Amino acid sequence: MEILEVLDPVAQQRGVLDARAVNKRPSTLEGKKVGLLWSGTANGDVALRSIEGMLKQHTPSVETNFYLGGLPAPTAVLEKATDESDVVIGATAD
Amino acid sequence: MVEIEKKGTPAVLLVSGRFEHDAIASARAFGMPGVRYVVVPWLYRNLDRERAVQQTEAAFETLVGELTAEVEAPVANAKLQPTQVERFEGSNYADAFQVMNREFLNRDWGDGFPLLPATQDAVEKMLKGTCLPPDHVVCDLPPGYGLATVEKIAINSVMAGASPEHMPLIIGALKAVSQMDPDRVKGFLMSTSSHASMLLVNGPIAKELDINSKGACMGPGRQNRANLVVGRAYTLCLKNIGYWYPGEMDMDTIGSVRKFSVCIAENEDASPWEPFHVEQGYKAGDSVVTVMATKGEVDVADQGNNTAEGLLKTIAYNSIFSQWDLVRPGRTAKGSAMETIVLVPPDIARPAGEAGFTKKGAKEFIHMHAQFSLGKMVHYYPLQPETIPAHWRWLLKLSEKELHDIWMPVRESADRYRLICVGADRAKPIIIPSMPVRPESVNVDQYRAR
Repeated sequence: MEILEVLDPVAQQRGVLDARAVNKRPSTLEGKKVGLLWSGTANGDVALRSIEGMLKQHTPSVETNFYLGGLPAPTAVLEKATDESDVVIGATAD
Repeated sequence: MVEIEKKGTPAVLLVSGRFEHDAIASARAFGMPGVRYVVVPWLYRNLDRERAVQQTEAAFETLVGELTAEVEAPVANAKLQPTQVERFEGSNYADAFQVMNREFLNRDWGDGFPLLPATQDAVEKMLKGTCLPPDHVVCDLPPGYGLATVEKIAINSVMAGASPEHMPLIIGALKAVSQMDPDRVKGFLMSTSSHASMLLVNGPIAKELDINSKGACMGPGRQNRANLVVGRAYTLCLKNIGYWYPGEMDMDTIGSVRKFSVCIAENEDASPWEPFHVEQGYKAGDSVVTVMATKGEVDVADQGNNTAEGLLKTIAYNSIFSQWDLVRPGRTAKGSAMETIVLVPPDIARPAGEAGFTKKGAKEFIHMHAQFSLGKMVHYYPLQPETIPAHWRWLLKLSEKELHDIWMPVRESADRYRLICVGADRAKPIIIPSMPVRPESVNVDQYRAR
């Protein structure tokens, strides 16, 4: 019987070593500002506009703002979206 | 969405089609493994409106739930672990070798071809190829941002069949890709396009290591042994350190053989122009490796032109394929313009130089002659009033015929062309469309063994 011992080639990831938790959610969207962040890819806007319509139908007190980002979204757009929103919904389209 | 969460705002991402694994891998890579997402079955981009709305409506309740659900406790950070030893048994060495390869390839730790065993002894020899200590972190390697220690680079280099003297080039190439614009490098390595790296070697180290710059320097063969193993080592590092695994962070639609290994040297002796690394700000005597992004290639055959103008026009007229950057939503963003790499064989570079064309002049000539129909260029990315930059909105008023009748340069400016003298004698250039990520170069002399 022959035993071959080799070293593991896979590295650990910085994101796993320095992982952070997601933010606490609101218990309801009543009266919240919802940011809709579009990457600019085709039909992502259709999806987000559809969500916007359903949000307003289900929770009329919701306020929505639509943002055109990009791939990736420019920092200024991300900052504007986070400054103006309680929660953000994104769609990449692919 | 990770960036939004990092700024303190709860977020949820609508993920389409086959991108769930990518969402999970990206969340881990970018430091927020618990990021919330909702999956819909089909990629939105080429759906008709009705189906796009239909699948969104079906996901609505889950999406609201992810925005209002309680979050789990903060994640416990993992600790940096020493490299593990893997043991494989066989009835003899060849059998154990096969068992190791089967297992490694099942884990997608290779490129499909047999991997050499990275034994402790082989890795120690590989580590002698550089002055850097094994635990030195060269970079956090994109797209998954694994810690590229010299030891992990050495392990993957052994598996690729590289030799210790190749280490400075391999380390330099990894450092170079890590220095690319952090936003652009994600598009480069995580795209649904067949983006691949090309390593370009300049300076004395090319000859020292026998990196082929002449005939058939891309592709298989004994003339390319050094090219191939350096490129392969880079690719294995990109996978096992950078987590560039297909279907997880590399979301390529079809793929390309360029992803195996592309490493060439510039044929500096045959070039009338300053070499590429000098354009990048290095001295001619520096040994430099550059990482360039490629997305396809076309072999062009000039069958009889013998003037500089004629030969350069052949390059220009064949540079119009692939994608263009006009009118894309991101076009106005920093560094968003596409590039074209031209591998210019001596039989074109030499007469162009003799006719007085500087490299800059040749680029300008190509740029002015590489024109195409605007209507055809914008066709692949249908014009949308919401995304078109203000200075291009006049296009929305034109008919299809009017759009087709406008001809424009296919690149933003002459400096978007990268001319590199490569290959044997014969006026057959290779034209490689690149993308909006600039080539990054690193002086590898700093990594040589002392």
